[in-house]
Amino acid sequence: MKFKIQSSKFKVLTLRIKRFQREKDPPQWIETFQVEPKKGMNLLEGLLRIQDEQDGTLSFRYSCRGAVCGSCAMQVNGKLILACRTSVENLLGKPVFIEPLPYFPIIRDLIVDMSIFFDHYRKIEPYLHGKPVSSHLEYIMEEKERKEIDPYIQCILCGICFGSCPAFIRDPQFLGPAMLAKAYRFLADSRDYRFEEILGDVNDHKGVWGCNTVFRCVKVCPKEVPPTHAIVKMRGKILKYRLTSLFSRFLSLSHRIG
Amino acid sequence: MELISHDILIIGGGLAGLRAALEVKKAGKDVAILSKVHPLRSHSVAAQGGINAALGNAPAPVKDSRENHAFDTIKGSDYLADQDAVEILCREGIDRVIELEHWGTLFSRTEDGKIAQRPFGGAGFPRACYAADRTGHNLLHVLYEQVTGLRIPVYEEWYALSLVVDEGRCMGILGLHFFEGKIIPFHAKAVLLATGGYGRIYLRSTNAVINTGSGCYLAYRAGVPLEDMEFVQFHPTSLYGTNILITEAARGEGGYLINAKGGRFMERYAPNLLELGPRDIVARGIQTEIDQGYGFEGGYVYLDLRHLGKEKIMDRLPGIRQIAIDFAGIDPILEPIPVQPAQHYSMGGITTNLDGETSLPGLFAAGECACVSVHGANRLGGNSLLETLVFGSRAGRKAVQKVEKEKQSIDKGIFQKRWKEFQSDLKEVLEGKGEESCFLLRDEMKALMTSQVGIFRKESDLLTARERVEKLKERLKKVGIKQKDLAFNHELVKYLELEGMLHLAEVIVEGALARKESRGSHFRLDYPDRDDQHWLRHTLAFKTLDGPRLEYKKVTITNYPPEKRTY
Repeated sequence: MKFKIQSSKFKVLTLRIKRFQREKDPPQWIETFQVEPKKGMNLLEGLLRIQDEQDGTLSFRYSCRGAVCGSCAMQVNGKLILACRTSVENLLGKPVFIEPLPYFPIIRDLIVDMSIFFDHYRKIEPYLHGKPVSSHLEYIMEEKERKEIDPYIQCILCGICFGSCPAFIRDPQFLGPAMLAKAYRFLADSRDYRFEEILGDVNDHKGVWGCNTVFRCVKVCPKEVPPTHAIVKMRGKILKYRLTSLFSRFLSLSHRIG
Repeated sequence: MELISHDILIIGGGLAGLRAALEVKKAGKDVAILSKVHPLRSHSVAAQGGINAALGNAPAPVKDSRENHAFDTIKGSDYLADQDAVEILCREGIDRVIELEHWGTLFSRTEDGKIAQRPFGGAGFPRACYAADRTGHNLLHVLYEQVTGLRIPVYEEWYALSLVVDEGRCMGILGLHFFEGKIIPFHAKAVLLATGGYGRIYLRSTNAVINTGSGCYLAYRAGVPLEDMEFVQFHPTSLYGTNILITEAARGEGGYLINAKGGRFMERYAPNLLELGPRDIVARGIQTEIDQGYGFEGGYVYLDLRHLGKEKIMDRLPGIRQIAIDFAGIDPILEPIPVQPAQHYSMGGITTNLDGETSLPGLFAAGECACVSVHGANRLGGNSLLETLVFGSRAGRKAVQKVEKEKQSIDKGIFQKRWKEFQSDLKEVLEGKGEESCFLLRDEMKALMTSQVGIFRKESDLLTARERVEKLKERLKKVGIKQKDLAFNHELVKYLELEGMLHLAEVIVEGALARKESRGSHFRLDYPDRDDQHWLRHTLAFKTLDGPRLEYKKVTITNYPPEKRTY
């Protein structure tokens, strides 16, 4: 049966949590908690039980507990995960080290300041700039086009990709995987009139050219969004656009000479 | 004392709140959203299967119409919905869905490139527009994108502690800046509650952990009645173990329900629509199978999708496949999904008129926390997302009209007074002895509601529930809060939320005890029939010092006289 945790009854869940509370002295410490696991339990439930039963001051974000809201991103034994999507079954026995999402300023315990993440979000003007359309009818879109965009709109903006991105670590002004995926989502959408604007916005080292194309974001994304693919596609479009504009300039020049 | 002021303040950043905010902003008014979580973390994001609108895009022998949609909704409601409200929902819903498409929602498509529509429970036509099985995620992100584009300010991770009411009018709220630990009053010419449901009153619920019904309690405490709270929707298919939602679309696409004997059983409960009966009937069907010993050990049945094939599952139901893999270790392509009914939605809520106005001037409500009523005794799948858009936008529009007429000068003294009163109430709470633990009381309440106030109800259970909720309220007074500082005070917030939840539980129990009939989601084993003569009416619960006082209100019937409800 799927629902039995074999032999886990005899093991406890030991969490070593990196704490940070500004008003404490020292503000940073590592604290160990033990939780008796229940069958089917996930890490978020474990943290909630600690908050309920052992330390009401332990701070972390949560909401849906179904891996769709993007609240509970954190680092577990160095891996970037959503706590709710992480079963404790494989974490029993040895102590588990829990840290906040890296590279964002820590506000308290496992809560980080995601301002820079949403600043970057706003920079790409992440809303459809719609072409004219009758107010009573939908745009016509083929399933093929929808399927091209679909992987990129699965993003739940949890921030995990930023925490794994060497380009973001190097330069916090780098737009980051989630935002470049989002930019591509609008670029690929025939309902959006922007083309040059979007490519122009990402055509530098803060954009697609800053990416190391090491696919770490693709690997860690809990929703299987492939930001690097979007980046590579946009690079291709920029190069093609440059070539065609060069070519047309050459044509008009040779026309004039001719 | 700092005082923040906006023309219109919206509490809650889910679909209803965001849609209302856009309406207000586009009318040129100053609007802000206050939410205890970042708007994208709101529970709307978890909606899966679809949003109804009679677009008539799916191939069918005759074209769908808004009248058909209204009929299905009213019949689904077991004739308790107000029919004028339903007609508005079905009429304006079409424009609201098209509008969301224009703003960028990535709806799945028909062969000719229109918005695709799928069959849903209790509906005579394939009417649920969908974005694979992540419709809520798509809609919420699109609305948040619009809110971002219009630069509408959001007070993220703030709590609304209480409404500020003066001389019979809502003047604003007291807000808690959770990270700073400051209580700051907000003045607003109109306050709109869009705080969602209260699912976490129940042990088994598909709802997010944040769904504590706090907006309903804010209104109730301020003297606004709660309507039809005994009507609690139990979704037929939540994932066994975690109770995460497994969308109705799984059955809309052709999934079967299978009991432990290995057979389909819905023929006994909805002979014509089978698995696509309305939620109340399918949930009762599953629960009956389980109660009669035809469930699997632990209390569940199977939702079998295997015959749909890999391609269809990957294309139409990728989200629930991922959920089943992540949370139960089961791939629905290869194995059936273990499911059981769980609390899912509140048909009841804060009484509003067709424009989201409550009985308290200056206070509006929309979305799940409100009761217009479009869902009556049982909501059809695909109608809740629609309600958020239609009535979110209507409430926003009405609030704008009201604010335009308003020449209100801010009386800072009122806020000062309420602020002081609240601080002293809080002091009392913070000085509690700590003989009881909040989480134990909460867990007791949840277990109680699931076992005694669930799918099947009877007087003796409800009387037990009444007595035990009363005791829990008493015990709550003995809860202590260790942390005295207000910043990041999870304990305090949990306490305040539990206080509200116990009051809502009490209203649900009282409404259920009083209603001696079975209608929609409210099924009384001791009164198994619908009784239109006595009970074709809405329950209104008013807060008094001795608990809820119940009154009743006529149901609006326009074009659809009540009939026997069979499927």
